[in-house]
Parts: sequence; C-alpha cells; structure tokens
Amino acid sequence: MTRTPVLAVALAAACTGGVRLDVEADPAERLSTTGLVAWDGTALSYAEGVQPYTLNTPLFSDYALKDRAIYVPPGEVATVDDGGRLQLPVGSAILKTFSFAPDLRSPDDGKAPVETRLLVRREAGWKAWPYVWDDDGRDATLQLGGDVRDITLIDPTGEAVTAAYLIPQKNQCADCHELKDDSGRRYMTPIGPTLRNLDLPDADGTNQLDRLVSTGILTDVPPLDTVTPAWSMTGFTAADAATLPPAELDAAARTYLDVNCAHCHNPHGVNGISSQLFLDVANDDVFHLGACKRPGSAGKGGIGREFDIVPGDHEASILYYRMITDDLGAMMPDVGRSLLHHEGAALIAAWIDAMPPDDCRGP
Amino acid sequence: MRHPSLVLPVALAAAACSPTADPAFSSFSCADATTASCTELTAEDPQALLDAVNALDGDATVVLGSGTFTLDNQVTIRADDVVLIGQGIDVTLLDFAAQEAQTNGVDFVGNNFLLQDLTVANAKKDGVRVEDSDHVVFRNVKATWTNGPDASNGAYGLYPVKSNDVLIEGSEAWNASDAGLYVGQCTNAVVRHSLAKQNVAGIEIENTQFADVYGNTAEDNTGGLVVFDLPGNPIIGRDIHIHENIVRNNNRPNFGPSGTVRQIPAGTGTFAMASRRVEIESNTYENNGSVDIALISGLAIEPDVSKWALDTATLVGTWEDLDLDVEGGVTHNFRTDGVYVHDNTHTGGGTAIDNGSIDDRPLGFLLGVLYGQTPVDTILYDAIGESSYDATSAEGNSNDNHICIGSETDATFASLAMDVLIARFEQLDLPSLDDVYRPDAPFAPFNCGGLPGDPIQAPTVTDVD
Repeated sequence: MTRTPVLAVALAAACTGGVRLDVEADPAERLSTTGLVAWDGTALSYAEGVQPYTLNTPLFSDYALKDRAIYVPPGEVATVDDGGRLQLPVGSAILKTFSFAPDLRSPDDGKAPVETRLLVRREAGWKAWPYVWDDDGRDATLQLGGDVRDITLIDPTGEAVTAAYLIPQKNQCADCHELKDDSGRRYMTPIGPTLRNLDLPDADGTNQLDRLVSTGILTDVPPLDTVTPAWSMTGFTAADAATLPPAELDAAARTYLDVNCAHCHNPHGVNGISSQLFLDVANDDVFHLGACKRPGSAGKGGIGREFDIVPGDHEASILYYRMITDDLGAMMPDVGRSLLHHEGAALIAAWIDAMPPDDCRGP
Repeated sequence: MRHPSLVLPVALAAAACSPTADPAFSSFSCADATTASCTELTAEDPQALLDAVNALDGDATVVLGSGTFTLDNQVTIRADDVVLIGQGIDVTLLDFAAQEAQTNGVDFVGNNFLLQDLTVANAKKDGVRVEDSDHVVFRNVKATWTNGPDASNGAYGLYPVKSNDVLIEGSEAWNASDAGLYVGQCTNAVVRHSLAKQNVAGIEIENTQFADVYGNTAEDNTGGLVVFDLPGNPIIGRDIHIHENIVRNNNRPNFGPSGTVRQIPAGTGTFAMASRRVEIESNTYENNGSVDIALISGLAIEPDVSKWALDTATLVGTWEDLDLDVEGGVTHNFRTDGVYVHDNTHTGGGTAIDNGSIDDRPLGFLLGVLYGQTPVDTILYDAIGESSYDATSAEGNSNDNHICIGSETDATFASLAMDVLIARFEQLDLPSLDDVYRPDAPFAPFNCGGLPGDPIQAPTVTDVD
C-alpha cells in the first residue's frame, strides 16, 4: 500500500468537519476523510449524526476497549427485523474502534486507539474496511492486509500479559461477519446491534434504544417491556460466577456464548455448520448446545475429552477447554483471542457445573 | 471479464531468457500473465502480499518471487479469477511459523483459482484451504511442516472442501497431522501425479462424488490412500476411481491428535469405508504392514445407525441412481457397496500389524488377534451387512454389497465378519483364523467382473483459463 502524505494529519483533531462518506466508492485511504470520527488524544469524538452505542455483553477481544457507533444518512432510518437485528439503510456505517490502556484496571488512563473497523452498507450488501491508527493517534490508515501486534498490558485481574493482537485483514472480516442464507448464498452482516444487546440504560438513565429512536436513526422498536434484554456483563468478575442465581447463570452463559461463539456456531454460520454445535441464544436443543455431543472435528481440542459439554463437569468439557487453552490447535475462537478471558471462562465453568450431572455414558 | 490463463512452457522459457528478467522472477513474471491485472511481489515485503491479496478485485495474477515470505497471518483471498503463482516448489516458500492465531496458510473462497509453483510451510491450521469454490487448480504446490511429522502440526496439507471441479497435480503434502492431500465434499475432482509422504492419511477422498485419483505416490504415511464418507454429511460419496498409484511403506505410527484418521492402523495401504462405486485397479502395493486394501462398513467406526441418517431432501449432488435404502425420506450411507478391485500388485505387506486397541484402531486390534504371526491377507472385507456368512464355503457367503475382486497379482483375500468377531472377543470367546472366510483365487462369491450399473464415471477438470 502506498500512503499518501496528507495535510489532513494536522487537521484531524477533535473536529471531524462533518460526515463525508460515500459507501459505494473505494474506501478512503485515511479514516479522517470520511469525517465520521476523530481522536482528540483522550477520547473519540463523532460527527453529528453518528450515534455511539454500547452492548450489554460484548465480544471478548483480548480485553481491547471498544467504542461503537452507528451512522445513518440524513433522511434515512434503521429498522428492526423479526429476529431483533437492526437493519440499516444503504449509506449507513458501523464503526468499532479497538483501544488499549497500559493497565486495564484503570482503562481511561493512557487509552490509545489501535484500529477502527468500518462496516459500510452498500446497495449490494455490507463491506468491511480495516483502519489502523497512526502511532501519533491523529488519524487511521486503511490497511487491507491487517497486522499482528504484540500488546503488553495489565488485565482487569491485575495480571501482566502480552496479547498477540490480530488486526484482521479485510478478507478475514468474513470469518465472523458472514452467514449463509437458505439458498446457500454468503452475505456479510453486522453482529452486535440487536435489540436485546442494545437494551440498556445510558449514563443518564435513558434507555439506549429510546435515545436511538429519539435521534431519528431507528424505528420499529417494539415496546421495551416486550424486549428481554441480554444479560449485562458490565462489571462482572470471575468471582461473581459462583454467586449468580441459577436462572441468571443460565441467561448469562447463554448470552456470553451467543455473543462470543454464535457468529460461527449457528445453523447459518459458514464456518460453524459442520460442527453441529449451535450456541446461538435461539437454540433450545440441548444436544446441539453441546450436552453429551461428540465434536465434529475438534482437532487437538478433543485430546483426552470426548464431549463438547459433560454436564456437571467443566474440566471434562471440550467447550470449556477450548476457551481456556492458548494452544493454537485447540483454542477457540479461531481468531480474535490470544489471551484468556478470565471472566468468561469462570462463567461458563459455573454454568456447566450447575447442570444436572451426566457422564454421557447412557443409562 | 477475461479469465486468467495458464502460461505455456514456451512462454516460461521465453521469460527466463528475457534480458530484462529479474532473477527473483526468473520462472514467471507479470510479462507472462494474461489477466487484466498483475502484481509482482518479493519475499522482502511479506506485508505487501497480505495487502495485495486483500485488495484483489478479480481477474488478477499475483506473482511471488523466489525466496521465503515470512508471514504471521494467513493469505486470505476472496475474489474470482485469481492466479497466485511462485517460481517453483521450495523456490518460493510461504512460511507461516510466525502465525499467532489458528489460521490457514493460503485461504481461498471464489471461483477459477490457480495456485502454482510454490511451497506453503508450517501453517497452524491447513496449508491451503479452498472452500465453497468452483474450478480450482493446484499445480506444483507443496504443503509441508518443516519439523517433520508431529501431532502439533496443522491438520491438512491441501484442503479443497465443498468445491466443484478440483484438480491437484504435480503437488506434494508432507507431515500433516490429519490428511496430506485431501478432497472433501467436492464434485468432480482429479488428483494425479502427486506425492503424499509422512502424513497420518496420505491421500484422502471424503464425501466426494466423481473423483479420478491416479499416478500418485503415497508412502510412509500411517494410511496411504483412503476413501470414506463421514456420518451426517449430505454429500454421499460415489464414483471414485483409484488407479496406477504407488502405495508403499505406509507404516508410520499414527500421530493424529484426534479425528477419524486417528483410527487408522499404521500399515494401511488403502481403505474404502462407507463408500460406494469405487474402483481400485492397477495400483502397486508394497510393504504396508497391516493390510493393503480394506473394504469396510461405516458401522465399523460409528456403530450407531442413527448417526448415519440423512434426510434425502437435504442431499447434495446425484444419489437417486444409487442402491440406497430410502424410507420415509431418510437414507443412510454407512454401507460400502459396489467396489471393484483388480489388477493391483502386492508385495511384502501384512507382516507388521499395528495392533491398536479395541477402542482405538479396532481394525488393527482385530487383525493382531486373528493373524498373529501369519501375514495378513492383502485384501480384507468386513462383511458387515451381508445376509449370510460362512467361514468354510463359497456358497455360504452372500455378496449383497457387490464386492468384486478381479485378477490380482500376489493377492490373498479374506472376508472377516468383523462385527461378529469383535462381539465374540468382547465375550472373551476368542476368534481365530478358522472363523474367517479365506478363499483361494478367484475368491468366489466375490469374483464378479465389475460393478453393477454403469462403469465408474471419471471426471475431467479443465485447466483454469
């Protein structure tokens, strides 16, 4: 890639100058050209019409801090489909900025952005463009080939770790964002913005969905008392796993698996179909959820363990093992995790252990 | 859109003689390319390779110079009409040892893909994975793990899956912890003039319809050249022609970490399992310690019939003309039905059985119990699903599964009734060779002269052009 030396480096400060996004055009070389977002040295600022949002339970990505936002072009509005997923009009964009801080126990100190993934909604469907922030944080540059960075940090448990942090290639975005429709056609789709995962209070107490509706970018939201919000992982620590009441434990684990695994492990997931392990929250078949199910092909993840889940015994369960190991032939997810997610692992262990015990040997 | 085309050797020679030729591109350069766009990349800048393939918009050639490209992430290609070509096996080498995520070496989805003249080494997952693609040619491509055979190596060498019209030729796979040269869930595949060495399974044809596998060498693997269907897969394998291959010295201890191939006893030349319409002819079998050719039911590895149930509404490809049980819209594909074995030569096999255990590699275990120091018969049939079985007479044996053994050189044959013998063993009623049907040639009633129905339909796969 050639990098164009641009004066915009100096101009790209907190002010974006307004959105200048043409989703059908080739992607801008510099993120500042889109006018969507800027970094002022301590925080992101979004252009008018770009709405930040958060999720009840986010995807784990090596403890990266994430800032998300939606842009819907003036005069257009996003709707909600039967599955509770936001449907964005052509011309829209979703931004997800991944940042790190040296000590994630105080994530606002020394926070610096690493990459921004820009999903744009074209007439023909979604496209994903990876932007990598310059070392000085003033702008981000399109880097189609991605990168792998060693990032040293202190994780929220106080442990010093080094992530082999993967900035995905453009073509790797499909690993998570691609589904197959009933006719077998592949298509790209956003993952995070669903009613249940967006249903949470803003800092001022307003429901986030109400805010998105009131700004005019979202409609078709059903009455909020008919939406079951996803379990919120905010503030959750590994020690909390032991104290969750049974009903909340199940909701928490199913939400975690839905967010962290089901983009592949669902009946339409390009890479997950062959496993027959379906971890989407809509699945209510305990076999396809993994209970006493032999894996399709677990590779080294299957050594010494026979079943995806052995109810009552997380240590014997392949699903748990693949979450905690850092052995490349065994760990899950395939991409996006190089560190152990202590909180998620503790949650899933507690969930498996709370199941009625079954050694999977039959009656 | 124009399609990329293979440059003729004449053009290659001309390029080599060109006075302006860069020595890093002495075999192939953009001057030889016929696509709308072409990029030359040198080994000094591996990031440029990742950037370039992610910017591809189709109808493009990417030429890699000689030397080693050190890569920490897979080469991901999502475009049609792409040629990725190097300067030759081991001359252009993509080394993925630095990968820090569970990713492949080259990962392709698209149509009309030619991969040629390069080596892919040390990928964490599969060397080259091609999925959901039509018309794919691998020519003179080597996939290897340079530390030798090891359970920690990636699973598959060359791995086209769920694809149509696949040609693998002049290629090699070494040290894969599953299968070296693999073709799975494909329609129309040709694997020829290639080498599989030191893998768990050398060449593996899985849930594939219409494959021609010939002129290859499979040596020093755990199992040499295998054909099977896995349970639950909606493509029912059929019409597999295996001929003029050399399958020798496949005695490597099984180093597979898991999976179906974990059950292959070392010393296996060829097995056909849960397969139908397979012709195995004119191959050379040498020194495979357990057995040269084994014809076995899928129930030998997955005895639960329900796991093999397939909803016929979901089946992919052609199956209506096969002799399948269909009841209430459900069929099963565990049965091995219609295998014609003829004109192969056999030397030195069956004298070093990998015993395994009754749970791990049960076939090897059973052979160890039955044969002991006696050389194993060169062709074995498990007789699972036969309506009648008798260890002592031809008349007492049915051939419901249409197993046909023609003229062979130095072959012996046994029909084992594997399920019965294993059940006896489990009741501590030890079986012996007296319980095995071991006829002399011509092996009646298995001496039929070919498959029922039409001859095997060999596919042809054209060049990418």
